[in-house]
Amino acid sequence: MQSSMDVETVSSQTQNEPGPLPLKPLFEPLKAHEMSDGRVQFQKVNVPPHRYSPLKKVWMDIYTPIFEQMKIDIRMNLKARRVELKTRADTPDISNLQKCADFVHAFMLGFDVIDAIALLRLDELYVESFEIKDVKTLRGEHLSRAIGRLSGKGGKTKFAIENATKTRIVIADTKIHILGSFANIKIARDSLCSLILGSPAGKVYSKLRAVTARLAERF
Amino acid sequence: MATKSEASLNLDLLHRLKSTEPPVWLAPRAELSETARKASKIIFSYLRPYAPKSPLDQLLIEGFDAEQIWQQIDLQSQPLLSSLKREVKKFEKKPEEIGKIREVLEGEKKVVESVGKVLEGERRVLAVESDDFDEDLDDGLDDDDDDDDDDDEEEEEEEEVEGSEGEEEKKGKGGPEGGIEDEFLKINELQEYLEEDEAREYGLKKDSNDSRKKGGRRVLDNEEDEDEDEDEDEEDEDEEELGVFGDSDDNEEEDEHRQKLENAGYEDFFGKLEEDSGLDDEEDEDEAVETKKNDNLSTHEKQSEQLRAEIEKMEKANLDPKTWTMQGEVTAAQRPKNSALEVDLDFQHNVRPAPVITEEFTASLEEMIKKRIIEGQFDDVEKAASLPSKAPRELKELDENKSKKGLAEVYEEEYVQKTNPAAAPLTFSDEQKKEASMLFKKLCLKLDALSHFHFTPKPVIEDMSIQANVPALAMEEIAPVAVSDAAMLAPEEVFAGRGDVKEEAELTKAERKRRRASKKRKFKAEATKRMTAKKARDNTLLNDNDGDYLIFS
Repeated sequence: MQSSMDVETVSSQTQNEPGPLPLKPLFEPLKAHEMSDGRVQFQKVNVPPHRYSPLKKVWMDIYTPIFEQMKIDIRMNLKARRVELKTRADTPDISNLQKCADFVHAFMLGFDVIDAIALLRLDELYVESFEIKDVKTLRGEHLSRAIGRLSGKGGKTKFAIENATKTRIVIADTKIHILGSFANIKIARDSLCSLILGSPAGKVYSKLRAVTARLAERF
Repeated sequence: MATKSEASLNLDLLHRLKSTEPPVWLAPRAELSETARKASKIIFSYLRPYAPKSPLDQLLIEGFDAEQIWQQIDLQSQPLLSSLKREVKKFEKKPEEIGKIREVLEGEKKVVESVGKVLEGERRVLAVESDDFDEDLDDGLDDDDDDDDDDDEEEEEEEEVEGSEGEEEKKGKGGPEGGIEDEFLKINELQEYLEEDEAREYGLKKDSNDSRKKGGRRVLDNEEDEDEDEDEDEEDEDEEELGVFGDSDDNEEEDEHRQKLENAGYEDFFGKLEEDSGLDDEEDEDEAVETKKNDNLSTHEKQSEQLRAEIEKMEKANLDPKTWTMQGEVTAAQRPKNSALEVDLDFQHNVRPAPVITEEFTASLEEMIKKRIIEGQFDDVEKAASLPSKAPRELKELDENKSKKGLAEVYEEEYVQKTNPAAAPLTFSDEQKKEASMLFKKLCLKLDALSHFHFTPKPVIEDMSIQANVPALAMEEIAPVAVSDAAMLAPEEVFAGRGDVKEEAELTKAERKRRRASKKRKFKAEATKRMTAKKARDNTLLNDNDGDYLIFS
């Protein structure tokens, strides 16, 4: 506000002289602090029980990039079993907080830290989740078989899709999470849906090949 | 003319002819032909008075061939024969006449007999001269069959005629001229032959006109359509002759008849100008009328008569339905049976005639087959190599293993490849290519080593590998060469260290202690290192490491 007032005075001064145009005002970017009027912003990520011990193992790998590079305060609330994130004074960008929250959330979903780190680095990565029952109502053995089909033997079908589409997939019982860019998520989702609906892996592979080749050709 | 000496000379010649064996006649001989010719000439001149209208005074034999001599004889004999027939017919009807002019007739008959015999003989001679074998055989057959004339060629009239004539001739035998006739030469045989010959040539056409005389009528449909103008002329001649014979029988007296015989006119030789048609009754009347007129016609009128006859003939041909060959499209039902075989049909064969399979053909085929098999040259259809229209797409191999790189690194690589392709690390497919090229190079090296002339030494690839302490030559050359002492490893590579190496047993107590102390020191140093590292990890305070993480904003 002060700066804006300064600008006004300057402009009134220059208006008297009908010569050169007034200088372009220069605004510095708002800090995260200032944006919310000096208030601190929080993010809380719940930790599911099955992710508790993995979190303990890789805590440092999570903590370091968040604290060091993103300049976000992070702590684990053991009692409430959640991770809490807070902006600092020197947090450069307000979006950092959101990114960190997404990163931690991705880890909670089941992704690896090295995969989830990509969320911190790249802007346009997203996580999409859906359930098997959204695609097709399956019960009992059919459901089990569908899950088996999705993963493949030793997970090879899942890895094939991951490698082909440059995404990361987490199959948690009936829930499926996909991490990647928008287009790649779409491709991976299509493949997974066709697998759920019953097409054999070979067919999915061939489709994948065609699609990825087309994608690669674009570059 | 018929003096005794000539007659005897004549007989002599004829006897000579008769006495020659039949096989002799098979080959032409000059002396035989000369004899025959002379005989014929004599007989011809002998008969000359009885054929007053004959244009020839004597038979010309010098420089003439058989055909010409025969024609001359024919000129004389034809009217004679016809007159003879007429006479016989007359006597058939009126046997009492025979007695009246018996003597005259005898003389005539004898002449006729002799003429007939001579004719037969001459015919035979001339037939031989002109190599006409069949006629000879026929004559011979006829002659041989004396009373047994049951030939198929015989016809009804012949039997009648023969019956009537045979008696007469047998009566007439025994004269001075009768010596001609013997088992070899018979008048009745001659007569039969003549009748049969005429019947064969002129067929049944003459019979249709002489239905009254013969008592039968034959239809001539088959022969009407044929283009036998000459035959018709001859028919006409025959008709006219027989008609004259018959008419004279009915309408005229003998004297008139005999006059007619002597005054044989144009129509006797060349027949009536009027054409034969189906209207028999009308024609017969016309014939009767015309025969009276023909005597008084001039040459011009005769020519015009001839023309008219021809014109009428042609008009008749035009009015009649055409022959089947001229009718355009003709089915099998419309033409007589097997008639297409006789006609020379002309049409184009559009197909090549099928090849005749002969022994040589099959042999040549088999030879070719064998040769081809030996050569191995089969005409198999070879598939045309399809040219690649464009470079084959690189099939992206789906890696089914868990990717070792994190997602971030994957995107990082992608970004780098986009912005700076040169610095991009090798992709999976590139690595595979590299591996493949390496394998191929190794293979090539091995192959080159096997062929010493073009030996290429191993390429220097700087990579860490275990070097075995083997003589160098053994490694470099495959061929067995005298083993050298040059070892692969350098001495310092074999053993690096100071020279004083001592075994456990050799060590002194002090040295042993020293060794143990140094070991302990090393161990302790390592242990502390490990402890500090563990502590650093467990500790919350982290050391300042190098920034592994790049932040992309």
